[in-house]
Amino acid sequence: MLTRTVPVKNALGIHARAAARFVHIAGGFLSRVSVTCGARTVDGKSILGILLLAAARGIPVTISADGSDEVEALDALCRLVESGFGEEPCSD
Amino acid sequence: MFRLTGIAVSPGLSWGPAALLLQRHLAIRYAIAPGRVERETARLDEAREATAHQLRAIHARFSQTGGRDLAALFEAQLLMLDDQMLVPRARSIIAGDRVNAEWAIDRAFDEFCAVFVEVGDAYLRERRGDVADVVGRLRRNLLPVSAGGGRLLVELDAPAILVADELAPSVAAQLDRTLILGLAIETGSRTHHSAILARSLGLPAVAGVGGATRHVRPGTLVLVDGYAGEVVIDPSPAVIDEARERRIRHESRLAAVRAGQHGPAVSADGVAIRFQANIERPEEIEVARTAGAEGVGLFRSEFLLGGRSLDEFGEEPQFRIYRDLIERMAPYPVTVRTFDIDESQASGGPEAGQETGAGPVGLSSGPLGLRAIRLSLRRRDVLETQLRALVRAGRHGAVRVLLPFVSAVEEVREARAALESARRAVRGDGGESPEIPLGVMIEVPSAALTVDLLAEEADFFSIGTNDLIQYCLAVDRTDGRVAGLFDPLHPAILRVVRHVIRMARRGGRSVAVCGEMAADAGALLLLLGLGVTEFSMSPASIPAARELVQQVRLADLRRAAARALRLPTSRDINRMLMDEFPVFVPRPGGLNGRPHREGER
Repeated sequence: MLTRTVPVKNALGIHARAAARFVHIAGGFLSRVSVTCGARTVDGKSILGILLLAAARGIPVTISADGSDEVEALDALCRLVESGFGEEPCSD
Repeated sequence: MFRLTGIAVSPGLSWGPAALLLQRHLAIRYAIAPGRVERETARLDEAREATAHQLRAIHARFSQTGGRDLAALFEAQLLMLDDQMLVPRARSIIAGDRVNAEWAIDRAFDEFCAVFVEVGDAYLRERRGDVADVVGRLRRNLLPVSAGGGRLLVELDAPAILVADELAPSVAAQLDRTLILGLAIETGSRTHHSAILARSLGLPAVAGVGGATRHVRPGTLVLVDGYAGEVVIDPSPAVIDEARERRIRHESRLAAVRAGQHGPAVSADGVAIRFQANIERPEEIEVARTAGAEGVGLFRSEFLLGGRSLDEFGEEPQFRIYRDLIERMAPYPVTVRTFDIDESQASGGPEAGQETGAGPVGLSSGPLGLRAIRLSLRRRDVLETQLRALVRAGRHGAVRVLLPFVSAVEEVREARAALESARRAVRGDGGESPEIPLGVMIEVPSAALTVDLLAEEADFFSIGTNDLIQYCLAVDRTDGRVAGLFDPLHPAILRVVRHVIRMARRGGRSVAVCGEMAADAGALLLLLGLGVTEFSMSPASIPAARELVQQVRLADLRRAAARALRLPTSRDINRMLMDEFPVFVPRPGGLNGRPHREGER
């Protein structure tokens, strides 16, 4: 199992659309994915779980991946969070 | 076991497992049999399919029109739908707890929200709204007919008592009598359309049962007592047995009436008492006749409007309805009360019997504002249209006109002038123009105190007990905190009634008591003892009242009434009635103990 901690960068935190992108990407890998924010750990493939983290801007989230493609999974997901979920600082 | 008190709006007794209708949230909750799990899961899956289909369509539309953010949002909603915390969770709730699909979804959503509210960030907490949107769509897709939710209850698999926060007439109208045993509703009143529908369906119903949907869980055994206006939650077997006995008594009584075996309404010492019916719709004439009513003592004509404005309801359609009523009630008379509405209803606003909102600044639309006779006299054209229709209908049988909410002699004089003008107009058209008795409703204290003066102007009187009690005791029944002060046996009420009867008799005018007060055995005994010989009540209450009359001696009742007039509180009066007439006024404990409200809230 691999684990990495990254801060949430986008202005709105992990909102519904961001969570959807995360779940979408996580769902493309075989590995089990979990996300921890504060005391709460949720399934990284559950959009409602991710929303429950209520992760706002600047808050670090810890992503874990466990499985045959855990390296790729963790890379892809951390890139997504660190890129601010692909959002421009100002919405297009 | 515990009891909730409300307003008895439709007589009868029934009990069964509760089904909850939270109309404000479009939710219906009930327990299902083990064999229904598969069917219920299928319903959930169908709703999930429909929801997914709609979300995909919306997503596609926004993707094409360039609303990329919005398109992404609906993609997120699609993911939420199949999230293990939503539809899959609801599926396992159906199987594990054996509840209907709607309730299972609500439960899954509640579980999710319970975690969400712990989360501190207010901004993100609002994100719950996205999930609520999906849940709302799922719920709507569970409804067989989404608009109005009229067919909400068709999926019930066993008969149930419907416990609802509110019941729109459109929903009430579609209730299946074979699936719904009785109604307990948090809102509403006797004159609300849903109550009228319940009566016409013969469904026992209690309205104004505050907190009912909070106290009752789906599947809980609930007993609705539409006679006493009581709802018993989780009743003991003894209470059910007692209710069953009472129901048999009522049913055999009704059967006797239908078979014409009820005999005349004459007291044991030979005094004839007349029972007439209060009705709102022409169709109720048959029910009234079956119940043994000797006429219609109160036809609430405003219900004919049905949301139309006064100007839209012309003389001809009114005439046809009144003529029909009169012919169907013959040889007994029909008493038509002129429109008892306020301004907003006059212009086709809320239907009669429904509460109306605040009017423009400075114009009260409350019960003490411009309504009933006050409004009729401002709109003489409308009043005369109604009176012309009634005069013409009077050629076909006995009809009387009753003026609502009269507070002074001048109002009767003006109405009399309008009636004469209507008769002249009918004569002018070449028709016969019969004399129509003109009566006054005694429901305002000033009218009660001037009955001797009004007797010079009016041909007959009818005491409207509900309003008279409310205005004498200055109690707003719609305010739950003081509604318990509404007390038909208050010493003041007995004194007012006695005064009205004496003064009317002295003036040579008849007095009827027209209101639900007379449907209560204890109050009926006292009214008879005070000298009332004419009553008008809802048809369903007549058989029991007739039977009571046949078993009592008026001489005894007169003595009891005299004693009651010397007692200081309604509690004392009620106790005296229980001592003297235990057959009719049993002690509390049994369900049919007269709920005594004083100091018990």
